[in-house]
Amino acid sequence: MPIPQDRIRNFCIIAHVDHGKSTLADRILQVTGAVDERNMKEQTLDTMDIERERGITIKSVAVRLEYTARDGETYALNLIDTPGHVDFSYEVSRSLAACEGALLLVDAAQGVEAQTLANAYKAIEQDLEIIPVINKIDLPGADVDAVRRQITEVIGLDGDAAIPASAKEGTGTLDILEAIVAQVPPPKGDREAPLRALIFDAKYDSYRGVIVYVRVMEGRAARGQRVLFMSTDDRYEISELGVFVPEARPMETLEAGEAGYIICSIKTLRSVKIGDTVTDALKPAPGRLPGYKEVQPVVFCGLYPAVDTDFQELRDALERLQLNDASFVFQADSSDALGLGFRLGFLGLLHMEIIQERLEREFDLTLVTTAPNVAYEVHLTTGEKLTIENASKMPPAAHIERVEEPYIEAEIICPTEYLSGVIELCKKKRGIHSRVDYIDGKRCMAVYEMPLAEMVLDFYDRLKTLTRGYGSLEYRLIGYRPGNLVKLDILLNGEPVDALSCIVHRDRAEWVGRTLASRLRKLIPRQQFEIAIQAAIGQRVLVRETVKAVRKNVTAKCYGGDITRKRKLLEKQREGKRRMKQVGNVEVPQEAFMALLSVQDEPER
Amino acid sequence: MSAVYVHIPFCRTICPYCDFVRVRDRGAPVDAFVDALRREIAWASPEDAPLRSVFFGGGTPSLLDEAQLGEILDALDRRFGLSTAVEVTLEANPDDVTAEKAWTWRRLGVNRVSLGVQSFDDAALRYLGRRHGADGARRACEAIRDAFANWSMDLIYGARPVGAWTATLEECVRFDPPHVSAYGLTYEAGTSFERRRGEAIEDDDSLALYREPRAALGAWKHYEISNFARPGRESVHNLVYWRNEAYHGFGTGAYSFLHGVRARNTTDLHAYLAHPGAKCESLGLTLREVRLETVIQHMRLADGLTHAAYRRRFGRALRDDFGPALDALAARGLLSDDGVCVRPTAAGFELNNEIGLALIG
Repeated sequence: MPIPQDRIRNFCIIAHVDHGKSTLADRILQVTGAVDERNMKEQTLDTMDIERERGITIKSVAVRLEYTARDGETYALNLIDTPGHVDFSYEVSRSLAACEGALLLVDAAQGVEAQTLANAYKAIEQDLEIIPVINKIDLPGADVDAVRRQITEVIGLDGDAAIPASAKEGTGTLDILEAIVAQVPPPKGDREAPLRALIFDAKYDSYRGVIVYVRVMEGRAARGQRVLFMSTDDRYEISELGVFVPEARPMETLEAGEAGYIICSIKTLRSVKIGDTVTDALKPAPGRLPGYKEVQPVVFCGLYPAVDTDFQELRDALERLQLNDASFVFQADSSDALGLGFRLGFLGLLHMEIIQERLEREFDLTLVTTAPNVAYEVHLTTGEKLTIENASKMPPAAHIERVEEPYIEAEIICPTEYLSGVIELCKKKRGIHSRVDYIDGKRCMAVYEMPLAEMVLDFYDRLKTLTRGYGSLEYRLIGYRPGNLVKLDILLNGEPVDALSCIVHRDRAEWVGRTLASRLRKLIPRQQFEIAIQAAIGQRVLVRETVKAVRKNVTAKCYGGDITRKRKLLEKQREGKRRMKQVGNVEVPQEAFMALLSVQDEPER
Repeated sequence: MSAVYVHIPFCRTICPYCDFVRVRDRGAPVDAFVDALRREIAWASPEDAPLRSVFFGGGTPSLLDEAQLGEILDALDRRFGLSTAVEVTLEANPDDVTAEKAWTWRRLGVNRVSLGVQSFDDAALRYLGRRHGADGARRACEAIRDAFANWSMDLIYGARPVGAWTATLEECVRFDPPHVSAYGLTYEAGTSFERRRGEAIEDDDSLALYREPRAALGAWKHYEISNFARPGRESVHNLVYWRNEAYHGFGTGAYSFLHGVRARNTTDLHAYLAHPGAKCESLGLTLREVRLETVIQHMRLADGLTHAAYRRRFGRALRDDFGPALDALAARGLLSDDGVCVRPTAAGFELNNEIGLALIG
């Protein structure tokens, strides 16, 4: 018999990274008996190694828990895990849309951070009932009262109602479960209406194909039902549906108000769009659920095999990776300097790092990566509009009417003593000051609008360094704005190197060119001939650096014991040279293609 | 051709730049060491190729006394047969050299001395941590020159003051040794100079110093990267290394290359005394590796390698094995190939490692 809606609670946990979300989820699973103590693996909900290492959750899972509350009734609590990072903000919003309530977890020692705020606002936008929880009250630095005040003053929720807890020690878990039952409204939705189910996540399983996570909003989904995915207009038959408890438990139906999974022989994740609506194929609902959008990549980089012959291997790896992460895109690309490779698009910087790391770790590939960049909108004098994701594809300046670049709004929370440093950093990154809010006596939030291009290079690292790790950052795209942008070319012995071209603000072009050229001079080893490194805008050369020719490279002494040792040493050097890229007649080490990143470390005049 | 190297690890003082196996001689069991050497030599199996050279290196072989040196030479004679056609070289420290000693060596069968002059500049010698001064070096040169027709003056450039090099070369020319070795100072790992690497001179300066003897010793043939000789006075022993031929190695830390196996004796003196000839490294080379090393080594020599010699030795054509690399190197001006002989150019000496890198492919 289906569970009545008033016995269902759909909720999620939202928090800043490392505030204890996964630990609390584990504790809840344990207390409700979904996982017994003996089989408890730390942080059951995070399944990938990289996620665990970075303390973040990239993909969500929904788990049904049975909880008998103090009122004597047994409830089905659906815990919907949300991605923990800004890059996946759209996916987060869809997970939130599947819930009626959210636990807002705040670290008792660290207090409200940038992601706490951003996530809280997203939950408020979705009209969720928010239950603040102050976690880690066992820590020596815990200051529960201060965090209560921050919740009241900064987020605008009732801090006094916040539940003190220590997920690590299990304190407060039952209070949290009771609060979910008491405060989170039960789901609504007509179970007799045509089916409308929200896809809030999907995962690839090598045995069963794609597992689609849905929240049924109206009607019911049943095994064997013919369904229509409304945005992609694909039709399938549901071969299995059910809930995770946390292992899969197949059922006959999923009714309005329930969250669970459906399996319908879908082969690739690319066929499933997060936010899409599943309806009955024969009796479709009149329209989609609100809030669907196509997610567009915002950060791009080139990825090339270090050894040319690994191109096919890299393609295979990308295809396999895309089976379980459809949120990055790639297309074959070729560079004069780097040969055959791919251009990849990501949802954000962290997303890019994760994909790069997975490629190297899981597929054992050595890759040459170019510095990340954003997509520019180029308006030509002909009225045509182009999207440029690769600086080397920029049309000549004479054909360009204007160039627009993506802007973000960044919220940076940091201790007040670092504020001046943060402001300086934002200014240097072409940031436009919006406001500074004070969170309490100790911390403040600076809000800036700035070009995404400035953010993708090294902003987060520098922010962390300059705030000694205390700064936190959240950003969202706010659209394209015209910029005084030019393409900066790097020439080696007079030949432009496509993989080293970049788009920069005109005012900084000379400085970037100068610094980049000087970096390259240090990175490119001396060769038998002199190498001229030039930075140029169009025909105008801004700066010239020279790598002097190597004139002496000889092992002066070579006696009996040295012969094989020397040969092996040369073989090792030779191996190193093989990993360099031949650009014209110049051998360029891989690091050179990332030099744009390190340029940012240089003090600016 | 084959050769014998005998390593005498004892030194009165330790030179701060030297990375050979060496120990202080005070209270050292030199007699026991000579005994062990005799045993190791007695057990050796001579190569088929005729022995052309014996080289006493160190350490400081010149601190052996007459009896010790005589016993080792006797043992070598019994096992290998030392004719007058065999070059017998003794490395000598100027400190140890007297006219009397020189003649004693001569009488025992030594027919070549490699004299570690290093410099004729007192400050440079102090920088190198040498015991002798410039005058000591001069006296030693005279004594050796009187007793030996065949001798080598060994010099080091790059010590401070750097400018002393020119005067040292001028004085070298005045002594007119039949052979000169001129090596750049290196700051090797495991020596006390290692932590002074910051003092090493820049490449371009080093190149200028390297080029000086080329000009100063115009009457000598620059027959190897760091070596100069009057006609017929090339080092027979070192040519065995540079042509990648077979050699025996006796004594602590001595290397040998026999039947395609590179091996090294234990570097531990006491282990050696207990088991003379015990190896601490042994590496069998593939034929491909031997061919590669052979070509790389020959490119250290002004006379290079003839196509005929390569074919005689390996039964294959040099161009079949290394043709594209040789062409690329010729195009870079590092070697020449006239169809008979492949030899390095002057640039090929200075950028010799580039030749090796290209040959590796």
